[in-house]
Amino acid sequence: MGTFILKRMFSIIPVFLLAALVTTGMIHLSPVDPAEAYLTAAHIQPTDELLEQKRQEFGLDQPFFIQYANSIIKICQLDFGISYVSNKPVWDEVITRIPATIQLALGSILIAILVSVPLGFLAGIKKNSMIDHFSRFLSFIGASIPSFWLGYLFIFFFSVKLDLFPVEGTGTWLHLVLPSVTLALPLIAIYTRLLRASVLENMNEPYVLYARTRGIKEKIIMAKHVLRIAISPMITGLGMNLGKLLTGTIIVEAVFSWPGFGRYFIEAIFNRDIPVIQCYVLIGASLFIISNLLVDVIQMVIDPRISRKVGYKQ
Amino acid sequence: MLILSTILFGCANNKEEVVSSEEKSEKNMLTFAWPRDIGEMNPHVYNPSQLFAQSMVYEPLVSYQEGGELKPHLAESWEISEDGKEYTFHLREGVKFSDGTSFNAEVVKKNFDTVLNHLDMHSWLGFLSKINSTEVVDEYTFKLTLTEAYYPTIQELAVVRPVRFLGEAGFPEDGDTSKGVVEPVGTGPWVLEDYKVDEYAVFKRNEEYWGELPKEEKITVKVIPDAETRVLAFEKGEIDLLYGEGTISLDAFKQLESTENYESSISEPVATRQLVINSKKEQLSDEKVRQALHYAFNKEALVEGVTSGYEEKADYILPTNLPYTKDNGATVIDYDVEKAKSLLDEAGWTLSEGETVREKDGQPLEFELMYDSAEQIQKTMAEVIQSEWAAIGVKLNIVGVELTEQVQRFKDNEFDVNFFSNYGTPYDPHTFLNIVASEGFGFNEAISAYPNKAEILKQIAEVPQTTDEAQRQQLYTSILTSIQEQGALIPISYIKKTAIYQKDVTNFTFPANRDEHPFTNISMK
Repeated sequence: MGTFILKRMFSIIPVFLLAALVTTGMIHLSPVDPAEAYLTAAHIQPTDELLEQKRQEFGLDQPFFIQYANSIIKICQLDFGISYVSNKPVWDEVITRIPATIQLALGSILIAILVSVPLGFLAGIKKNSMIDHFSRFLSFIGASIPSFWLGYLFIFFFSVKLDLFPVEGTGTWLHLVLPSVTLALPLIAIYTRLLRASVLENMNEPYVLYARTRGIKEKIIMAKHVLRIAISPMITGLGMNLGKLLTGTIIVEAVFSWPGFGRYFIEAIFNRDIPVIQCYVLIGASLFIISNLLVDVIQMVIDPRISRKVGYKQ
Repeated sequence: MLILSTILFGCANNKEEVVSSEEKSEKNMLTFAWPRDIGEMNPHVYNPSQLFAQSMVYEPLVSYQEGGELKPHLAESWEISEDGKEYTFHLREGVKFSDGTSFNAEVVKKNFDTVLNHLDMHSWLGFLSKINSTEVVDEYTFKLTLTEAYYPTIQELAVVRPVRFLGEAGFPEDGDTSKGVVEPVGTGPWVLEDYKVDEYAVFKRNEEYWGELPKEEKITVKVIPDAETRVLAFEKGEIDLLYGEGTISLDAFKQLESTENYESSISEPVATRQLVINSKKEQLSDEKVRQALHYAFNKEALVEGVTSGYEEKADYILPTNLPYTKDNGATVIDYDVEKAKSLLDEAGWTLSEGETVREKDGQPLEFELMYDSAEQIQKTMAEVIQSEWAAIGVKLNIVGVELTEQVQRFKDNEFDVNFFSNYGTPYDPHTFLNIVASEGFGFNEAISAYPNKAEILKQIAEVPQTTDEAQRQQLYTSILTSIQEQGALIPISYIKKTAIYQKDVTNFTFPANRDEHPFTNISMK
């Protein structure tokens, strides 16, 4: 497995280089000149002289290849430049906001797992029962309602009318409930259906029949064997849905005034704060790469057949 | 989706009486919501610092009052030399910064010099680039010498940034505040007590304040970026006051107002929403065409319909509550479709049988109106104007663009018709006219077809140097009338601020300065 991880680690490099290429190219594709965006944000009247000076400062007068190489060197040193709006290093601002986003993301993943694993599993083994219908209804809701609208609905009902939770802000675990649930619902929709399908599929596998003939109790077959195997696609889903989680936090953070990374990014878009946008894209890409790797590793641990399939020894 | 919302709202309606508020005001504290973080409390820089917050902590030499009156603030009085170049300020004695140090001419000079060291950043504020020297005459006397007479100096001293005063302890070691301040030490009625980025800021009353003490002990500013969430938090009672321009949608304002559970108020006009018609474009170069466009839409119905009457129909390109704008001589243009049609006929744009668009020499009367796609009011107004103008045979294409692109295209003079609004108090009228006269902002180019353009620009240049009040008024009247009469600028409506507050909030008044905070007089029952 060590070689596998190592090989996968190396495969990160080209993906990362491509992401850096995209973000460097972004500056050239944007209709607004970064030097001008900077000066406008700083409330400075952009004269030709100042624009030229800023372009030099940002290295925009260099050939594209050199800009690209420079940006890679800088990224490796975690230097994402200075925010056009706040005039402070982007990385410093980002790391102060990341913990809040991680808290929210973890909270919602936890809720998603706690709800979708039992629900998907039960819906699978009790096909067409009440619980199956309920899971279908919940998935339908989760997949079809936009997060921001769901967020308003939750605030209106649970905060304004029932007075159970605060409308916005952070501080206590109560503050975390509504945003996490809002963010978790689309995930629950996907995972429940994935798990249900996978359980149904696995119940027809020969190993289940074999276990039954060995006289193993149905409950044990389901819990120890079927669930363990069936959960595998869900983990893949978890990795692949990290993107959904990231875009989800952007909206949820804005609706619930959550002081995280997503909200910082939205403001950056409105202000054309290019260094922040670049940083966000790169962090997003890195998260995808790392989470995919993690998913693969976890899957190998859970289901050793996978590593055998790809030809790596355990 | 529908079922869920029906269930949720259905249940909710049965629980109307549950609306209570657990954190309902700690005694003597007002909670206020704002879309953005207050930013670094630095009096000398711009974004992301929020103007209202800066104005709570830092004070000007002169304050801007209703109707453009300029009152002594940190300066008790001032003298202006005969030639209009020397300004001597007699500072208020006994004023202390929030750390107990004295406010005096030394610290005033230090602040000015710091700002002047970064003139490239501040040159938009006219008087700063005209400062020749700053001088401490004695402990409480400060003198500014300008390179030329510039009458708006006193008015520009009332702005929120960058000419307000930071205490000695706030300056970094090298004295350069452009990179940040050590701590926000000001002379203002409020002191920043507690602050968490992107979450909240708590200001406490400055007990040593030289002026009238605010009634409330604390102001909490909650940062809530989403407008709907602000409304929900207000309905729950977590917020006492929602105030500003566009901080909540007019629909939400109307809905909250209609419940009669809250108090509300609407300010005097703060700026004018205008259409800028680019007379450099061939079809729009004829004054008759521009006038026809002005006659051809029902301004009153438009403003009433789109803003539910929260804005007011505008007759003039600047609100008449600004200095020098009362005697506007421009003809007020009322809705008159027939007049519009005859003007177009006179201009040679005729409508052939069975056609919907007028033509002249085989060219259709067609052009484009650009609006900020994020601004609902502009978008709806654009749609209404499009249909109104279609009725007189004008084909108007409307195009929504991002704000940054709108500004860019306006500056590059790549537009036919555009929305704009002026700066309001304490900047106008002189700042607006300065922009009209400057090249590269869009206006100078937009009035290119005016036969007396050179004369207007000459007058605009002359105004700030005039020391004679009567002559100044005369110049302003002439400039504003001439610009408006020739139709490149069409006033639509006067923009106003809205405020909605809980019933226990009393004495709410809008600040005369568009950028200032409204907290000093407020008290909670």
